[in-house]
Amino acid sequence: MMTCKELAELLQDFLDGELPKEYSDLICHHLRECGPCINFLESYKVTVTMCRKLPPLEMPVEMKERLQAAVREFEEKMSGGSKNSGEPGA
Amino acid sequence: MNALEAKPMQPNGKAKEIAAKDIVPRSGAQWTPEQVFLEHAPRVYSLARRMLGNDADAEDVTQDVLLQVVRKLDTFRGEANLSTWLHRITVNAALAHRRKRANREHREVRDPFNHFTEHGYHAQSIRPWSASPDNIVQSKETTALIEKAITELPEIYRDVYVLADVEGLPNQDIGDMLGLSLPAVKSRLHRGRLLMRHSLAPHFEEATL
Ligand SMILES: [Zn+2]
Repeated sequence: MMTCKELAELLQDFLDGELPKEYSDLICHHLRECGPCINFLESYKVTVTMCRKLPPLEMPVEMKERLQAAVREFEEKMSGGSKNSGEPGA
Repeated sequence: MNALEAKPMQPNGKAKEIAAKDIVPRSGAQWTPEQVFLEHAPRVYSLARRMLGNDADAEDVTQDVLLQVVRKLDTFRGEANLSTWLHRITVNAALAHRRKRANREHREVRDPFNHFTEHGYHAQSIRPWSASPDNIVQSKETTALIEKAITELPEIYRDVYVLADVEGLPNQDIGDMLGLSLPAVKSRLHRGRLLMRHSLAPHFEEATL
């Protein structure tokens, strides 16, 4: 019989349907006998689903302001070139 | 046995949530740097923050990426797949940033297969989880728990994990971005998921009576 650890190693391929039938049969057989592995498989699936639903992280307000200013400043430098800044030497 | 319900590698449509989407032109030459900022800064930051694990580094990388976008605005305007392009330059910037600070993280890489006994049994009791994904993610506290677990993943798994399971990119794209073979991407992703499951289990398992 397949061990719980071996099942864990093959879990991803099993869930992706990429496992040869003989192996997925072994997994199904193991799952019929092993409660912990059923919980393990279900919680693995929940972990995956949950992270797919994470909202984007929110940028701190001050950082947003700093970045916005940096982009603006960079744009001015690019579009204005050096024509509006005084010559450093003179 | 029912397989994973959500198709593993489909994009999750995160881009749709961007608030600036309606005010930003979809195509043509009207893009201004300001619009670039509104449209892309939140996504760039979010990805960089998750990959790098702290705000200071995420800010450096976000700024770097935004300035690259502004500098290459003409290329950017013609880019067919903006989202892929943006992911790519963000990942590159984050990796470059991390290389510069290579001496900062010396975390031992945890092996998720250590959570088994020498005879191959689960080393801890594995209880069912109580909440469904919908309930879980709606709460701010649990979202924070998940984010913390992501931050605590070893970098070697975290990058793949974030790109695949949070950003929803296909494994092939992730392999291209990180210079990894497809089997390597899959293996790291699986290990990342196992570590995530392990970190989250104490919070989501049903209480024992
Ligand atoms: Zn088992």
